[in-house]
Amino acid sequence: MTEKYLAQPDLDFIAQVRGLGGETLKKCYQCATCSVACPIAPEGSPFPRKEMIAASWGLKDKLVQSGDIWLCHQCGDCSDLCPRGAAPGDVLSAIRSIAITEYARPKCLAKAVNDPKKLPYLIGIPAIWFALLALITMTAGETMTKIFDVFGIAWSHAHEGAEHVIAQADFFSTWFVDLTFVPTATFVVIVFFLGLKRFITDIHQNAVLEGKTDKASLDYKELFQALIRILPTVLKHEKFTECDSNKDRATPHMMVLYSFIGLFIVTSIGFALLYVFQSPGPYSQLTPLKWLANISAVALVIGSGLMIKNRFDKKDDQLTTYKDWFILVIVFVLGLTGLLTEMARLAHMEYVSYFIYYLHLIAIFQLFAFLPFSKMAHLVYRLTAMAYAEYGNRK
Amino acid sequence: MDKKYGVYICTGCGIGDTLDMEALVDVPEEEGINCTTHPFLCSKEGVALIQKDVDDGKANALVIGACSRRVNFDAFKFDGCIVERVNLREGVVWPHSRETYPMLTEDQKDDEEHFDPIQMKAEDYIKMGMIRVEKVKLPEPFQTESFSKKILVLGGGVTGMSAALDAAKAGYEVTIVEKTDSLGGYAAQMRSQMPVTEPFEELQTPIVSELIAEVESFSNIDVKTATEVARIAGQPGEFTVTFKKPGEKTPFDVPFPLPEEMLLDEAGKELDAEAQHEKYLEYNKGKEDILQLDPDGSLYGAVVLAAGWRPDVLKGEAYAHLGIDLPDVVTNDEFEKMAAKGKIIKPSDGKEAKEVVFIQSPGKDEDDADFEYSGSVTSQVALKQARYVREDYPDGKAYIIYQHMRTPGLQEYFYKNMQQEDGVFMTKGAVTEVIQNGSKLAVTATNTLLGDNLAIKADMVVVASGMVPVTKDDPVVNLAYRQGPGFRDNDIFGQYADSNYICFPYETQRTGIYAAGAIRRAMTIEESMEDATGAALKAIQCIESANRGMAVHPRSGDMTYPEFFFQRCTQCKRCTVECPFGALDDDEKGTPKINPTRCRRCGTCMGACPERIISFADYTIDSIGSQVKAVGVPSEDDYDEPPFRFLALICENDAFPALDMVGMNRMDYSPNVRFIPVRCLGSVNTIWIKDALAQGMDGVILIGCKHGDDYQCHFMKGSELAEVRVQKIGDALTSLSLEQERVAFFEVAIDEYDKLPGIINTFVEEVEDLGPNPFKGF
Repeated sequence: MTEKYLAQPDLDFIAQVRGLGGETLKKCYQCATCSVACPIAPEGSPFPRKEMIAASWGLKDKLVQSGDIWLCHQCGDCSDLCPRGAAPGDVLSAIRSIAITEYARPKCLAKAVNDPKKLPYLIGIPAIWFALLALITMTAGETMTKIFDVFGIAWSHAHEGAEHVIAQADFFSTWFVDLTFVPTATFVVIVFFLGLKRFITDIHQNAVLEGKTDKASLDYKELFQALIRILPTVLKHEKFTECDSNKDRATPHMMVLYSFIGLFIVTSIGFALLYVFQSPGPYSQLTPLKWLANISAVALVIGSGLMIKNRFDKKDDQLTTYKDWFILVIVFVLGLTGLLTEMARLAHMEYVSYFIYYLHLIAIFQLFAFLPFSKMAHLVYRLTAMAYAEYGNRK
Repeated sequence: MDKKYGVYICTGCGIGDTLDMEALVDVPEEEGINCTTHPFLCSKEGVALIQKDVDDGKANALVIGACSRRVNFDAFKFDGCIVERVNLREGVVWPHSRETYPMLTEDQKDDEEHFDPIQMKAEDYIKMGMIRVEKVKLPEPFQTESFSKKILVLGGGVTGMSAALDAAKAGYEVTIVEKTDSLGGYAAQMRSQMPVTEPFEELQTPIVSELIAEVESFSNIDVKTATEVARIAGQPGEFTVTFKKPGEKTPFDVPFPLPEEMLLDEAGKELDAEAQHEKYLEYNKGKEDILQLDPDGSLYGAVVLAAGWRPDVLKGEAYAHLGIDLPDVVTNDEFEKMAAKGKIIKPSDGKEAKEVVFIQSPGKDEDDADFEYSGSVTSQVALKQARYVREDYPDGKAYIIYQHMRTPGLQEYFYKNMQQEDGVFMTKGAVTEVIQNGSKLAVTATNTLLGDNLAIKADMVVVASGMVPVTKDDPVVNLAYRQGPGFRDNDIFGQYADSNYICFPYETQRTGIYAAGAIRRAMTIEESMEDATGAALKAIQCIESANRGMAVHPRSGDMTYPEFFFQRCTQCKRCTVECPFGALDDDEKGTPKINPTRCRRCGTCMGACPERIISFADYTIDSIGSQVKAVGVPSEDDYDEPPFRFLALICENDAFPALDMVGMNRMDYSPNVRFIPVRCLGSVNTIWIKDALAQGMDGVILIGCKHGDDYQCHFMKGSELAEVRVQKIGDALTSLSLEQERVAFFEVAIDEYDKLPGIINTFVEEVEDLGPNPFKGF
C-alpha cells in the first residue's frame, strides 16, 4: 500500500486549465482509451488517463510536479480517439503551460507572458529600449567613442572600407546588442537553473511517490549521462514520429530545432570572430558561416511557417491558444526579419534594412528574455523530463 | 355441440414430397372421416375450401395437418369451430429428411423388417389430432356475478397519482388510497428532482404539486387520504375492498396464515388439519374469514399497487467503518430533507457544509456491491445532491466515491453536466474509513482512480442508503386469499412486489394486482411515472379481459378456466396450495372455491390433482391421455425389431417454440418421439406418464422452462413442480419394475433450441440401452 494521499482540489487550478485551452478537462470518464492510444506512454502507470482525473479533481500538486506531463509530445492521438471529447492532449498542454509558469521566477513576468493584455508592454518596452540605443548609435557616435576610449576600447566595430557597405553596426552598435543580450542570456540561464533545480527534485519525488521510478535518490551525474543517451532520440524526433494524428508536425518542428542549433553556432562563431579575432561583419556570402546562417534562417522561416499553417488547417481537432500563437509568431517573425534584413542590406536599401533589423532585435528579445516563461521553455523541461525518465527507468 | 369432423392436410412445404399421402389420408378415412388435401392450404383458396365445409355445416371439429400452430394461426381461425393443428411441417418433414430416412420400396413395405419412421410419426400425429378434437369442448366464457370497472390505486405518491391520472384519462373511475394525510409521497419532501425533460441537464422543481392539482381536477378520481386497505377480497372484476383508518382494528382486517412454527406441536410434530384450523381461528380471532365478503365493502375491478418505499435504516457492524453514528454522517434521505429546508449545514455545529463526500458503496475493499435496495436511483441522487452543495456554496466541493455510477438513458446528460461542474469530483473506489478529525471528517478510500489510499477532508458525509419496498415490512395489499395476504416468494425478488421483472413487468403473482414504481425496484420519478402508465394499462387490460371472460396474461384471450368435478374431491387442498397465483380458496372443509378471473389457466391445479377432477374445456386429463393412447406402439408382433416409442410432454411457452426452431433449421433428432405440447409442465398429471408406460412406450421426457431464482417459467412454479412430481413418480416405477431412467425432466431456454436434438437423442439412447419396455405388446 502506498502512502496516504490527501486530495486537496484547487478550484482555481481547474479554472486556469480551462482558460489555457484545457476547457474539456472535466469531460473525462476514465475509460483509459487515451492511455492505450498513446504511442509513447510507458506501460507502467501510463499517461494521460491518470493526469486527466487528477486534472478534473484540480490536484495541481500531482500534475505540476509530474515528469509525465512532459513526456507527452502532444501528438493528439489521444484527443482523436477520446470518446468523450475530453482532449487529453490539449489538457496536458494547458497543464504544461501552468507548470512553466510555476517554475519560472519572477512569477509576475511569467504571468505577463501568458496574458494577452500584457503583450503591448512586452513588445513596447524593448521597442523603446532598442529605439533609444539606435538613436544613440546614430547620433552620438563621437560621444560614445570618447566614453569607450576612457576604457581603452574601440567603440566602432567597423572594419576597413566600411564606409562603402551597409553595416547593421552603423545603425545599432554591436556593443549595445551584446550589452543587452549577454545580461539577458545570463538572466535566462539563472532563471532556468533555479527552476530546473526545483523541477528535478519535484519530478523525482513525484515519481518515487507514484512508483514510476526504481531510483530512490537522485544522482545528477547519472541524470546527465541519461541526458546524453537520449539526445539522439530528441535530434531524430523519434518520439514525435511515433504518433499517427500529427505526424506531419515532426518535420517542421525538426526544421525549427535544427535552424536554432545552426543559428546558435553562427551566433557563437560571430561572437568569437568579433571579440577574439576582431573581425566584424558583414561577412561575405561565400563563407561557410554565411551558408550555415542562410540555410538556418530559411529553414526557420519555412519550419515555423509550416507550423503556423498546420495550426490553421487543424483548427478543429487541435486547440491553438495564445501561448502557442505567441511563440509561433515570434519565431516566424524572428526568422523572417532576419532574412529580410540581410536581403534589404544586399539590395542596398539602407534604411529599410535598418528598420527591419530593429524589428528583428525586438523579436530576438522576445524569444530570449521570455524563454523560461513562454512555451519555448518546453525545450528545457521536456529534455530534462525525458532524461529523468531514462535515468529513472520509466517503462 | 354436435361435432362434425373434417381432416385437412396440406401437401405444400415439402409435406407431400416426403410423406406417403395416400397412406396418410387413409388414417382418417378408415375412421369414416372425410380428409381433404390441398397443395397450399394456408392460401386464400385453401382456407376458403375449409370455410366452405364449415359454412355448409359439413365440419366444425377441424384437424388441420400442416405447419406448426405457432404460424398461420390467423389464417386457420374458424369461429365456432374446434381447431387442432397437426404439426406435420416443423414437427415431421422438416427435421426428418428422406436422405436420412429413405422412403420404403414396395417390397419393404410389408416385410415386417422395414418401417418408415417419418410416415409413422405423421400418422400418429394425425391420429392424436383426431382424438383431441373428439375429446375437447368449445369454451364458454366465465362471467362474474357482479362487475366493477373501477380501479383502486394504493399509494398517493408520484406513481399512484400518475397511474390514477392515466386510468382516469382513459375513462375509468379511480380511487386513490393514501395512508398519510396528504397526497405527494416522498417527492413532496424533496428540494429538487432529476430532470424529466430535454435537455436532461438541470434539476427541476418536484412535479408533485402539478400532479396533485391535476388529480384534483379530475372528477372521476376519488382521493381517500389517511386511509388503508383492511382487505381486498374476491377476484378481478369484483374485488370487494374494505377501507379503514390507519391502525384501526376492524372485523375485516385480513386474517394471516399461521406462522410456520405454530403449525407444530410442542414436540415439534406437525399438527393435524383440525388442530391447525383451530389454532388458525384463534390466531385470527375477531377477524372474519376470507370467504366472508364485507357487505359494506366497495367493488373494484383491478388494483394498482403503488405503495412505494421507505429509506433503508443503516445500522450495525457492516456500516461501522462509515462512521454512521457520527453526527455529520447522514443518509441521502436525511440530506435531502435538510436540503429541502434551506442551505446545507452541518448537523453537529450548524456551520456551513462546504465539502461533502457522497459514499455509494459500503463494501470496504472486499465487496463492490452498493448499499442494499439501491440502484441507478441512488447514483443519480448522489449527483443531484452534489448539485445542492454547489448551489449553496460557489466554492463548495462535492466528492462522489462509487463502485458503480449508473445513469441510464437520457440521465447520462445530467451526469455529463455534473461532471462539468468544477467543484464535483468523482472516483470509483472503496471507502475504508470515515472518522472524526477535529471539526472535520476524514474519509479514506482505496482502489480509486487516483490510486490507493486516497484521503479526503470533509464537513459532511452522505451515505447512499437504499429504497426499501414497503412490501418488505407489510403485505400492504391485504388480500383475503387462502395463500395469505401478500405475495408469495417475494424473497427471490428481494422483497420487491414482482413476478418476473424481465418477462412480466407490472404483473404481480396475483392477477388483477399490478405493481408500479419503487415497490418494484428503486426508481426515479421519471421511471415511476412511466411505470405507472404501464400498470394502469395492465389494470385496464385485466378489467376488460375479465369482463369478457378471458384470461389476461400470459394466455391472453383464453376463455377456458378450471372446472371441478366436486363429487370426487377429497379436499386434499393440493390445488389450493400449489396454485402459483393463489387463485383458489378453500372453505373450512378444504373444498376449493375457484376464482376464475384470478386464474391464469396454466393448469397447475390439473397437474396437482390426485383425483384428476380438474379440467379445462379444451384441455383435460382425458384429452391428453387419449392423445397418449393414440400413439401407435409397435411390438414384436409387428416387426422383428420394432422401433422404440417415446412420449415427450413439452411446454408450449419456450420449449415448443424451440422445437419448432429445430425443425426450421432442419436439425434431425430421433423420429421415434411423439411430442404433445402442454400449457405448462405444471399441468402435467403423472397419470399421463403412467398411461404411456403402461401401453408399452419406452420412455417419457418432460421438457420445460428453466426454474429457480432466475426462472423463465411463464407460470413461475410449473416446471419446478413438474420436476418434483417426476422425482416422486420414480418410486411408482420401481414398484412396476421399470427403471427410473425411463422418465426424465429437462429444462431448456427458448434460445437453446440447438441443444434440443442432443437432449432428446441422449435420452433416447439411454433408454434404448435399458432395452424395450417389458409391458410392450400386453
